[in-house]
Formats: sequence, structure tokens, C-alpha cells
Amino acid sequence: MAETLLDIIQQSINGLMYGAFYALIGIGFTLFFGVMKKFNLAYGPTIMAGIYLGLIPLYRWKAPMWVVFVTCVAGAVVVGFIVELACFRYLRKGHELAPLMTTVGMLILIQETVVIVTHAAPYEYPNIFGDESLEVGPFLIRPDYLAILISGLVFVVLLYLLVQRTAFGRAMRAIAENPAVAQLLGVSVSRMNRLTFALTSALGGATGYLVAMTFGALQPGIASWMTIKGLVVIVIGGLGSIPGAICAGLLLGVVEFQALWFLGVGYRDILAYLLLFAFLVLRPSGLMGRPAT
Amino acid sequence: MKKIVVSSVTLFWLLGLAPGGAGAFQEEGTLRIGGMWALSGPAAYIGSSSKGLSALAVDEINEAGGVMVQGKRVKIVQSVYDDACKAEEGLTVVRRLADSDKVLFSLGPTCSSVAEPVFGILQKRLGDATDTGLQFLFFTDTAIKFGLAKISPWAFRNVGNEPAMFDLAFKLVKEKYPELKTVAVAYESDFAHSVSTWKGATEPAVKKYGYEVLDVVEWRFEDTEFGAQAAKLRKTNADILVMMTHTFTTCGAVKEFKRQRVKAKLMVGITSAASTETLVGCGQAVEGLIIPTNFAAISPKAKALADKAWAKYKADSNLHSVPAYENVHAIRGIVEKVGIKNEPATLLEDRRKVRDALAGLGTFQGVLGPIKMNGDDDPVKPRDVDKAIILVQAKGGQWTVFWQPPELEKK
Amino acid sequence: MDYYVAVLSIMGVHILLGLSVYLVAITGQLSFGQQGFYAIGAYVAGVCTALWGTHLVPALLLGMTAAGLIGFLVGFPTLRVKGLYLGIATFGFGEIVRLAFLNIKYTKMVGGKLVGPNGAEGFRHVSYIYDRGFTQVQYLAVIYAAVIVVAGLVHLLERSKLGAKFRAVEEDEMAAAMAGINVTAVKVMAFTSGGFVAGLGGALFVHYSTYVDHDMVALPLAVASVTYPMLGGLGSFWGPILGAAFLIFLTEGLRFLQEFRLVIYGALIILTMIFRPRGIIDEAVMMRIRSLVRRKGAPSPAA
Repeated sequence: MAETLLDIIQQSINGLMYGAFYALIGIGFTLFFGVMKKFNLAYGPTIMAGIYLGLIPLYRWKAPMWVVFVTCVAGAVVVGFIVELACFRYLRKGHELAPLMTTVGMLILIQETVVIVTHAAPYEYPNIFGDESLEVGPFLIRPDYLAILISGLVFVVLLYLLVQRTAFGRAMRAIAENPAVAQLLGVSVSRMNRLTFALTSALGGATGYLVAMTFGALQPGIASWMTIKGLVVIVIGGLGSIPGAICAGLLLGVVEFQALWFLGVGYRDILAYLLLFAFLVLRPSGLMGRPAT
Repeated sequence: MKKIVVSSVTLFWLLGLAPGGAGAFQEEGTLRIGGMWALSGPAAYIGSSSKGLSALAVDEINEAGGVMVQGKRVKIVQSVYDDACKAEEGLTVVRRLADSDKVLFSLGPTCSSVAEPVFGILQKRLGDATDTGLQFLFFTDTAIKFGLAKISPWAFRNVGNEPAMFDLAFKLVKEKYPELKTVAVAYESDFAHSVSTWKGATEPAVKKYGYEVLDVVEWRFEDTEFGAQAAKLRKTNADILVMMTHTFTTCGAVKEFKRQRVKAKLMVGITSAASTETLVGCGQAVEGLIIPTNFAAISPKAKALADKAWAKYKADSNLHSVPAYENVHAIRGIVEKVGIKNEPATLLEDRRKVRDALAGLGTFQGVLGPIKMNGDDDPVKPRDVDKAIILVQAKGGQWTVFWQPPELEKK
Repeated sequence: MDYYVAVLSIMGVHILLGLSVYLVAITGQLSFGQQGFYAIGAYVAGVCTALWGTHLVPALLLGMTAAGLIGFLVGFPTLRVKGLYLGIATFGFGEIVRLAFLNIKYTKMVGGKLVGPNGAEGFRHVSYIYDRGFTQVQYLAVIYAAVIVVAGLVHLLERSKLGAKFRAVEEDEMAAAMAGINVTAVKVMAFTSGGFVAGLGGALFVHYSTYVDHDMVALPLAVASVTYPMLGGLGSFWGPILGAAFLIFLTEGLRFLQEFRLVIYGALIILTMIFRPRGIIDEAVMMRIRSLVRRKGAPSPAA
């Protein structure tokens, strides 16, 4: 009995820490949706492209990890810019489904480009937090996961300050509230779109760096994984809500870890989707979203 | 702009769909062979190595003048397609090779899940006109799932015999480390090769040599988090960890083992993981991993081949890719021996002739030593091969030989 | 010829998938889960011929019906959500079906071979059409008979009152409800018919391929099946047909590029959407075709 309790706690700790990933990816999607009112299915591949670009200085010149981190973020921003250019900028207005398809096309394009360059062979990603777990009482805690939880908190605080305290943030909120009025008030929507792309891609690059580090090995398949998880998180959390994305990410993490521990891998994914279904049916606006219109 | 897009798309269609010019082969001075592998998608690293090794064999034959057909030297031309490890694409690619490109035989496919339907549409009853299955010859290098060649008499494979490989692996482990008694297992429950290897090859071997299985954990082919499974394995405190998982998850998992201090005395891995990718992807964490395989650069000839394949095509030589090289050479030998006509009109006849010769081939020369092809009447594994098994171990960022058969050692 | 027949066969199956997405899409709903119905159709029909030894026709009908019934059931819980929400919900459904087939084992020995769904190891030896001596062309005829029947029914639906109701729900749900249209019934009907059509596609596919496993009905198939109507256009049932034809021929046409194929494929999807955001056959094209036909004074089936 006591052992079961310890297991539950251990898995909850792991789930919360891992859920921080989901939350960070979800925040990217939700920020994007808030401003653009569109989904960017190429967000996962953008992050992945950033991570892989980070490998270049590492494998070419054995660069220190901070260089890798900077390359990751810069690479994701550049790729994000390409996605904006190719999938959004030249689309005619008023076609809701078109960006969905262009980003699907982009998803395939980026993923396969990485496959061609790397032959889809796994690449090792060094972990700056080492391969040792911290022992806290009876629990094992992965230092890299802890770092994600902490840096996740830092990112969220920075984001909060950005959204609440800066002119950029005000413009962003104005657009999220009502794009037409914001434009009348002198906010350049196209400039805001580009800035939002830069911001979400930078956040994605930073998250991606942490993801890659904890995974230990990289494969192009992580792109669609990130897109799917991000979408699940924003649906559970409520579209456009940052706190919702955070809570949903952590919730999904804990549910997956408990399911994995007690029921096995076969039920982990099924339960995650059932959770999604339950939210859609019982609370379609998500944890913290506004009621669906 | 619009016009450019429209016309370029049309151009692609026409270019891509046009058959590969069905002139008289012998007159062209060519012999056509095919290859279909996963060159895109998650298995691309396996397929692209096979492609490289087969291209190397074709180069060698052509540089030496070509294949002797009807008293004339003809060059080999290879049609290669990507099936993306997808069944539906495999189903059209095989028709394209057989019908449009009119190749004599094909190498590949990479994935067992593509081999299943592709072999499934081949003819089942040889020479029976009422069986409308495709009459097309495969000499597979990679798809390793046990028993695939049983699906059709037109399917031959030069791939590892996993039940024998794991039987030998555990026999040797038992001999060398008699003090190890318990095992714990991990496999990818959504990946056919992983499941079938554990259930059909490894589990019987483990049971046969009297190991006690303490726990079996599962994860997915594309999983990245192994905390819970590692914790379970740690609780077992087993002597041997059996990792029936492919490179990507093996890398993630062994790192997690280290973190959680899962201290097994020995690790045994799945055949497909005996490649350079595993060493690159996992780094130090796979140190000590033992894998049964059919290829390692143990002889000067093998070493030279591996170096050349890497230098010329960036192709890794391993148990999945080297057979592509061996198969091309074996077919060349057969073609020269049985004397095909090499005309479009006699294509079916030629394929049947080569098929029958392959079934009756017996022993042929592989890179490391003789390979025995089992005939149609073999009760257990018809049209599959028996060949030397080597055990390799990851040491200091390289695969080193843990054990090799005495007949190879002498050379 | 064989090769073109094979391409057309796969295309026929994918046209059915595209039509099933289209049927749901014309009520304003986006489904990323039709591959789930396709899987159900494939497994059920495969079990019928390979394990129970039934004739092909009842197998196809049973596979189709099973998928349609599940479509009926799925229609209800997904009623409350719309747009991409629904897309994600239906993808969740498709994944649950896929994961279920990963766990289902139902095998027996038939003619000395172990046949039946065997979890992750897939379901092989569904060799009905090859055992019975169907030629490729004959089976192609079977597939296209199904495609023509389905496309014909969709065409009739579009011209009927019910079709007008479907479109009305797409335009404006509230207004449709106020005009006395039973929105619930329309949506559930759309899902049910979409399930039937996708199930039929799966049932036909498994007999063509002789093999099915969970990996075939994962995300890539979901994306492909949604891409057909989106790219082909939502203006008429010709849209998904054209979309499937375009993409399948593109897949084959680019094959000579080997590994660079999918990169070009992705880029072409982006370009098409930039130039034709409502698909190749959008409402405007349909209007033009209709007016053209009217001017000539002869009704055409395409109108």
C-alpha cells in the first residue's frame, strides 16, 4: 500500500515535470491562435527544424551548449519566418481551411527535408544536466526535467510581463480581442503577425532545445508528435488561454504517467484521447477558455 | 506564375508516369533490376544504406564489363523507388517495377509491413494460371520479420534468421556467464518486427536456456519517455536486460536506465540495432550492448567493402544493407549460369527460370562466407537463408566482435 | 498496364476516403477521423472472407455497415464541437480505433496458415481475390463500380432537398435550425454516411492489399484523406475525386525523384492552396460550369 502511494507520488512528480513540455508547446499554439485566429500545424516541424539546426555547430565545431541553444532559438525563428511567408502571408483572406492545408504541406516539407539531410538516423543530443538523477527522500528526480519545470516557469513569467506590460503586449491583446478595432487604433496587423511568429518560434526553439536534451536522441518523428500534443493541450485548456494551456499540459502529463505506470503503454494513449473526448463533450470551451461561440 | 506551376505539375506527371521505355533489353545491352526501399520517413536510414550497397555491387559488375547474357556482356541498370515504408505505396511500386520498368527482380523492401502486402499480391501457386497473383521475383535484403518468405514462392530473402540468432546468443551468454540467471525485457508493442522478434525468437530462446523472466515492459516505436518502464525494470534487479527495441527508443531508454541506476550485468539488443546509427545516436550509453548479427567488418574484404560503401555512398554496412550487395552478385551468377534471353517478351519466362535457380541454388558466396539458401520444400523457412551468425558488442564507440564462428576466425 | 491499374485501384479507394470526408465537410464539419472508419471496414471485411469464408459481396457490405454504425454512434458526442475542435476530436476517435486494433487478436488456422487480426503483427492472408482468380482489371471494375455508385448517390444527395439542408447547416447552423431543419439529424446523418463510405473504402482496400495493420491507418492517412476534398474543392463531389486523382498521380509522378519526392509534394500543396484557397473546383468554378452548361441548354451530370 505504502509502496503504491510512493509510486503515485513519483509518477505525479514525473508527470508534472514532463507536462511542463506539453504546457510550453501548448502556449506556443495558443499565443499563435490568440493573435492570428488560425492554427499553425507547422509549429511542431518549426521547433524540430530549430533543434536540428542546433546540431550543426555541435557536430561541426563541437560548439559549447549555449551556442547550440542560441542556434536552436535563432534557427526556429528563421524557419518560423519561412512558414509565415510560405503558408500565411500570401493567402487570400477569408479562407479558414487554407492555412490548415498550407501548414500541412509545410509539415511534410520540413519533415522530409530533415529526413533527406539526416537519413532519419537518430542523433545524440548531449544533456548538460548529466545522466544522474537526484535522490530526494524515496523519490528520484531528473535534473533536466526539473530544469524544464523551472525554465518553463521563467518563460511564463517573461511572457506574462511581455503581454501585460509592453506596447507589443497591448497590441497583441488588442488584436486578440478584436482585430478590426485594433487596426483602427493603429496596430499594424501584418507586423503583429510577424512578431507573433518570431515570439512563438523563439519560445518553440527554447522549448525544443530542452526537449531534445531530455530525449537524448533525435528523430524527425518528433515533429508530428509535438503538433499533436500541442493541439490536444490547447483543446483541453481552451483556445487562446495561456493559463488554460499550462493547466492542461500539466494535467495531460500526470494522466499519461499514471496511466503508463498502472495500466501500461496500451492504455496511456487511449486514456489521453478519452480525456480529450471528455473535454470536448462535457466542456467544449476547455478548462479556461471562453464559452464557444 | 500560375502557368508555370500548372505546366511544371503536368510535366512531373508525364515524366513520372511514363514507363521506362520498353525496348528490347538485350539489344540495348542492358539487364534491368529493381530496388524498393524506405528512402523517406522514419526508416529512411535503413533503406538508404541498402540502396548504397546495392549500387556498389552494380558499379562493380558494370566496371568489370557487365553480365554475360547470350554470349554478350550487358550492363546492369537499376530502377530504385522510395516506398516510404507505406504499404499502399509499396503496392504501386511493385507493379511499376514488374510491369513498367520490366525488371528481372527486385531488392527490398525495407519494412516488414510493406513486405506483407507486397508478397501478399504475388502468385501463391506456382505455374497455376487460375492464380492471378503477380509473377515477380523478390530477393529481399532487409524485411526480417520471421516467416515472410512463406507468403509466396516468388519471395526469397537473404536476411537474418532471428530464432537461430537469439538461440545462439543466449546459448553463448549462458556459457560465458553461467552466474546470470534472470532477465527483464523491453519491446516496442506497436512495431511488428519488435513484437514478432520478442514472441517468436527471443522468448523461446530465453525459456530454452532456463532464464527466469522477471518482467516484460512495453513502449511505442516513437516514444521518448521511459521513466516508468525504467523504474519497473529497476525493481526487478534482473541480471540481463533484453532490449527488443529499435535504435531510436533504445538510445532514449538506455540513458534513462543510467539515470535511474538500472544495473543489469548484460544487455542484449535486437538485430536491427547492430548499426552505426546506434553508436552515433546513443553514444556512451550503449556500452556493452550485445547483439547477434550477420555482418561485422571482421575480414579484410568486409572492411574494404564497408569503407568503400561509406566513402562512395555514405552507406552503412550492416546486416540489413550488406545482403543487398550479396544479392546482386548472386543473381548475376545465376543469370550467367541459367542463360536467360533478356527480352521483354520472355520476361516472365526469365523470371521463372531465375526463381527456380534461386530455389535450387543451395550455397552461394556472401561477403563473410558461404550462405545457404533453403529450397521450396524446406518445412520451416523455405526461401530463407542460413548464414554465419556473429555476436557484436558495443565497446568504446565501436562494434567489436564478441563471438564469431570458428570457421570465420581461421580466415 | 498493370502499374496503371494498380495506381487507379489505390486511387479508387482513396476517392472513397475523400468522398467520406466530403460528406461530413458539406455540413460544415471537418473530420480527421475517417481513417478510423476505413480501418473498421477493412478489418471486418477481412475477417469475413479470410476467417469465415464468406463471399466478397457480403463481406464488403458487412464492413461498410459496421463502419456506418460506428459513424452513427460517433456522430452524437461530436455534435457539440465544431471547426478544428471537431477535427481534433475526430482524430482522437481515429487514434482510439487504431490503438484498439493494436490490441485485438482474433486468429485461427485456415488452410494451414494462421489468419486473422494479430495485434501489432497485422492481419495477413486476406487473399480472396487472388485465390479466386480475379484479375487486377476485374477487381478494378469492382472498385470503380463502388466508386460510381457512391459518387452517384452523393450527386443525388446534393441535388435533393436533404443536400440543401446539409449546405444550409454549413452556411449557418442557427439559421438552419430556425428554418426548421433538424441540425442534429443532419449532422449525425453526415457522419453515418461518411462512415459507410470510408468503411467501404477500407473493405475494398484490404482485399486489394491482402494485408492491413494499425500503422496504415495512422496520421498520414488522416492528413491525406482531408487533403483530397480541401485541395480538390468543396464545391461539388468532383472536388474530392479530382483531389485524390491529383495527389495520387503526383505521388506516382514524383517517384523518379526518390527521396526528394515528398519535399516537392509538400511544396505543391502549399502552392495550390495559395492560388486556389477553396480548392481546385470551388464554388466559383462550379458556377461557371453550370452557366456554361445552361447556355448550351443541355444538362450535364457534372452540373
